[in-house]
Amino acid sequence: MGVKDKVWEVFRQEAEGDPMIHGGSVRAPDEELATHYAREFYGRRQESERLWIVARDAITELSDPDLLKPPFDRSFKRPGGFLIKHKLETARQRAGVSDAPSQEDLSE
Amino acid sequence: MTGLDAATRGALGELLLAMADDEFVLGFWDSEWTGIAPILEEDVAMSSVSQDEIGHAKALYEMLAMLTGDDADRIAFGRRPDAYRHAALMNHPRTDWAFTIARRYLYETADAVRLESLAGSSHEPLANLAIKMRREETYHLLHFDLWLRRLTEGGSESRDRLISALQELWTDAQAVFAPLVAEANLLTTGILAESMETLRQRWLARITPRFAELGLPAMPGAPQPHADGRSLHGADFSWLHGEFTMVADSEPRASW
Repeated sequence: MGVKDKVWEVFRQEAEGDPMIHGGSVRAPDEELATHYAREFYGRRQESERLWIVARDAITELSDPDLLKPPFDRSFKRPGGFLIKHKLETARQRAGVSDAPSQEDLSE
Repeated sequence: MTGLDAATRGALGELLLAMADDEFVLGFWDSEWTGIAPILEEDVAMSSVSQDEIGHAKALYEMLAMLTGDDADRIAFGRRPDAYRHAALMNHPRTDWAFTIARRYLYETADAVRLESLAGSSHEPLANLAIKMRREETYHLLHFDLWLRRLTEGGSESRDRLISALQELWTDAQAVFAPLVAEANLLTTGILAESMETLRQRWLARITPRFAELGLPAMPGAPQPHADGRSLHGADFSWLHGEFTMVADSEPRASW
């Protein structure tokens, strides 16, 4: 690794409309060569529709556990945190619908 | 491939073989960088570009095999060294990185001029193949122009090595446009839209300003190449030929 090399993170899109997913990284002294190497590492087998090449030092990282994994129960902040199975059953009975609950309801 | 008379088929065959051998031999020389290129990323890039060239050679050998009722693998691996028709530029060994870059730059720019012209060939399969190859060569051109620039800006050692490699290769690079034996036929039939000499002048007019822009010294005047620029090869190529035919020769009747 040359003294002036930087690390570049490469994101790839497999098909038009898909999300950009982190593929890996390359080392290169500048954006131009990083683009060439990203093409070789993450696109030479025609596996990518689009690449994003981002200098690692341009990325703002957040990994503070006090901010991301606070110690109290956070389950109520997740959609699944609200148990609505019984509420749904009651609502169905009231409406006179006797269908078995869907898979989605059960997963609650 | 029907509809072409025997003389025209022979002429077309000569053109296809010249181009295929250029790509094939250069692909083998530069694949020697696999594992030892200056940096890991470039190792992968150089190996990939070399594979691209072998892929182009394959397409051209297959077109030739259809034309002559031969077999593409036989043409690629079954000839003696003196039957290859690559330009003298491809007779040189890999040497150092600057030498490799100098050769690639000279070849890629020349090949680009050749493919642009062939995209207008009257022989439709060849025109279509040229269009397809050009799309892949776009990246090759960018990559080796980038390296040419980097070596001119990389300090006196890389610059000096690059300049001496360009000077050493300059005359042999002209041979990419060596006149073909049956060129008159190719021009009459429109398989070649323009003569090799016209293409060579266009190539010179394109790279000369680029050299000036990068502060590289002007190359000496280069006379029109002789037809033997594609038939005389020498010891370095004989060695490479031994390398790339080794596996095929070990079991000539094996199927792959």
